[in-house]
Amino acid sequence: MSTPVSTPAAPGALTGPARLSVEHLGVTFGGVRAVDDVSFTAEPGAIVGLIGANGSGKTTTLDMVSGLVAPQQGMVRLDGRDLTEYLPEERPRIGMVRSFQDCRLYPELSVLDVLLLCEDVKHEVAVLSTTLQLPWARRSEKRKRAAVDQVIGGFGLERFRHHRTAELSTGTRRVVDLASIVLAQPRLLLLDEPTAGIAQREAEAFIPLLRRLHQIADTTIVLVEHDVPLVFELCTRVVVMELGRVVADGPPEVVRADPRALAAYLGASDEALLASGPTGTSTTRAPGSGPGRRP
Amino acid sequence: MLAFAAPNFVLLQGVIIGLGYGLLAVGLVLIYRTNRVLNFAQGQVGVIAAVFLVKLTADFKFEYWFALVLSIALAAAVGALSELVLRRLFSRPRVLVMVATIGLSQVLLALTALPFIRPHNLYKPVPVPFDITFSLGTTIFTPAEVLTLMVAPVVALALAFAVRSTSWGLTMRAMSENADSARLSGVWIRRTSTLTWTVAGALSAFTAILNAPGQTSALTEVLSPDLLLFALTAALVGAMINLTVAFVAGIGVGVLYELLQWNISSTANQELVLFLVVLVVLLVRVRALRKGSRVGERSTWQYGATTARATVDSLRQRVSVSGMWLAGLGAVVLPLLLSVGNNYLYAQVCIYAVIALSLTVLTGWAGQVSLGQFGLVAVGALVAAHLGSTFPLPVLLLFAGAVTAVVAVIVGLPALRMPGLFLAVTTLAFAIFMQEGVLATPCWTVPGIGKTLCTGLPNPASTLIGRPDLLGLSLQSERSFAWFSLGVLVLSIFAVRVWRDKGVARRLVAVRDNELGAAAMGIPVLRTKLLAFGLSGFMAGYAGACLAFATERFSTATFDPTISFIIISMVVIGGLGSIAGAVLGALYLEGLPALFGANPTIQFLTSGLGLLAFILYLPGGLGELLHRFGDMVTLGVRALQDRHSAGHPGPLAEACEDGKESFRNSEPLVPGVVES
Repeated sequence: MSTPVSTPAAPGALTGPARLSVEHLGVTFGGVRAVDDVSFTAEPGAIVGLIGANGSGKTTTLDMVSGLVAPQQGMVRLDGRDLTEYLPEERPRIGMVRSFQDCRLYPELSVLDVLLLCEDVKHEVAVLSTTLQLPWARRSEKRKRAAVDQVIGGFGLERFRHHRTAELSTGTRRVVDLASIVLAQPRLLLLDEPTAGIAQREAEAFIPLLRRLHQIADTTIVLVEHDVPLVFELCTRVVVMELGRVVADGPPEVVRADPRALAAYLGASDEALLASGPTGTSTTRAPGSGPGRRP
Repeated sequence: MLAFAAPNFVLLQGVIIGLGYGLLAVGLVLIYRTNRVLNFAQGQVGVIAAVFLVKLTADFKFEYWFALVLSIALAAAVGALSELVLRRLFSRPRVLVMVATIGLSQVLLALTALPFIRPHNLYKPVPVPFDITFSLGTTIFTPAEVLTLMVAPVVALALAFAVRSTSWGLTMRAMSENADSARLSGVWIRRTSTLTWTVAGALSAFTAILNAPGQTSALTEVLSPDLLLFALTAALVGAMINLTVAFVAGIGVGVLYELLQWNISSTANQELVLFLVVLVVLLVRVRALRKGSRVGERSTWQYGATTARATVDSLRQRVSVSGMWLAGLGAVVLPLLLSVGNNYLYAQVCIYAVIALSLTVLTGWAGQVSLGQFGLVAVGALVAAHLGSTFPLPVLLLFAGAVTAVVAVIVGLPALRMPGLFLAVTTLAFAIFMQEGVLATPCWTVPGIGKTLCTGLPNPASTLIGRPDLLGLSLQSERSFAWFSLGVLVLSIFAVRVWRDKGVARRLVAVRDNELGAAAMGIPVLRTKLLAFGLSGFMAGYAGACLAFATERFSTATFDPTISFIIISMVVIGGLGSIAGAVLGALYLEGLPALFGANPTIQFLTSGLGLLAFILYLPGGLGELLHRFGDMVTLGVRALQDRHSAGHPGPLAEACEDGKESFRNSEPLVPGVVES
């Protein structure tokens, strides 16, 4: 194992919210400059929202942060550690968790099982010990159930505990997804359009939910979102992108006042930004259109 | 090394039988392309035509060509009828449809025996219209072979024309690319699908009629796993998409088979080569096969009864537990009341239930379709046959399980890269390889090295094996062995329940339902898949050892690959993924034949028809029925309790609430948020 020695006190460094810095990221897809010199920082505990019109490079940026797309320029640092050499599947181990836009979960598993699965990954028990129900296997299972019970209570999923995920509405499924994120104990959480595919009324209910998630999980959050009012309501920092570049970056009050940001987002007028939404935002998400395609 | 000879007449013989495989493979591909169904009844449709042809020519003295047209029309009609029966399943999980076609093939076999199809003289060979022969080298080619050479290419060309130039061909191709788009742009997909099955039925008839004259009786041509395997292999070479490649590959498989027969004297080595060819074909074509199977199909399992139902209600739970105790008590007492013969059957049912449970883990939970489970059972039985007396019984059972687990993991290796459905083909190849290659060869000389391994049955025709004692207790009487088998079953049920409730099943199901998501979450996907094979193999292995001790005398015929079909039928009849269901399925398919006598026709009909009926009308299977029964009992008990505490709106009202409330309608959109 070649964990960088430079980071102070390795085990201690892996708790608490992480500091993400994105430095001069750039990538070109077949002659199209998808992301061009994008830099921003997410301080520990911050909620950073990436907004911008379709094709402005938000999701590509997120893909590069989570390692699904290799950047051609620049780098991503987590607590100062260069992540260039980390494979996507290695990133969860240093606390980076990404939720997927489609939120399929596991259709046949009950909510309880989905959440227990997150605990399984953290504390693996050998099959033989499980089969023979050895004391440590029993203890481990009991602990997992206790942890899951807490999360189920915290997210109000009590009555869905034994329902299969296939039976749940998209909104409820997203709540389950968020609950599993809490169990995964991320230090940096990447959310890709958490309100995609759910109704406006549900999306509004997401604001307190995400806030609570942020509190419980004690994590830094970077989210990509089309729902502009949601982003301004929730985030401590907003990054506006246009054609692969960052055009505005700062606290929501500042960005809200920035004319370039307004122009960048759908050429939106003030009312589209300030109106608390149903009409302004529903155009970007046709009902039932579902999640968009990922490359 | 060996000199490999390929004389012309061997090649030509290979081409002749290969033409038959090719036509069958084309039928398989046609149906797979249109409906994404792996049709195991494809061969059986044609057999009806072959038998009917004998009936018409021998009993009714019809002119050959007229009779031929009539019988092919019959097969086409049967094909269309099959489509109409199976149609309602096309949106269901693929494995259910596949098992339904196994059931269908058994029903078709029973149809073959109907008086208006079956000829009076069963041993009359299928006729040939002319008497032309020719010779190549020393071999004389029979009129039947000449007929094949003449007819099969014509049929293939006609089909190629139909696919390319008729409106059916066009709509069929459109459907195979994207059924939904095709439908939206006005393609009448139902009619296209029915037509496809009609064409496939006719193709199957050609295969059966052309291949049949070689056989002594048309009726011996039952669903032969070998024939099916060859056709499936050819279809897989065509990636289940390309008709031309599949047809040519069919010829290739025939030539390969004849060459192996000519060059390799040992059956074991022939079978080994065939098995390896199937594996290589699959691994080489895996990318094309993956591309061909649509994403949505891989995880449509919503009709399984995998996860435990919400038994939050304590009374419902008590009903289940009492039910289990009652069943257990009955099972313990029953051997006292049974005759020797019935106790023997009792032990068999218990052991088959264990085998069914092993498939519940593998197919029901992990989604890997195995048609070779009985091959794994054979491995366990072999261990018992070789080491039966050297170890104490419990150690031997564990050892048999361990050996079989290793074999199962190796057999499962292709599953790491392949959609679960196609595993059916490699596992079928494995079962055939086990029976005809390993079991039938007492001692096998490794080619090239010259070392001899004695791994097969000591006496393939009839191997005797003594029952060992269980830690000093004699198991010689059928009654004591029945109790022993029950003990093995109960332990297995306990183990499987622990896996289901305490963390193993959820991992297997997660990987089955969403491989990418599970991997992103940090679940080791490859290890989890192999775990399923290991666990399943372990159970099949010790069950195999028990089966060997139960029968005390067995031969290669004991391990016929078709029994694997019956095992998977048990699991489906019981309800995929359900533990109680697997036991009930074993009881149904092993116990019912005892009630109806040993008549094979009734046995096949019961299982085939039963299977179809269950899949069509009760996707949850017997396990679902049992669950509903438990619900009813619970409501009854509630009502009784309520009568005692009248005037109190408590339990009954609550029960009704629990039972009737539908979460789908009243679900708050984002729970928990509203309150805060």
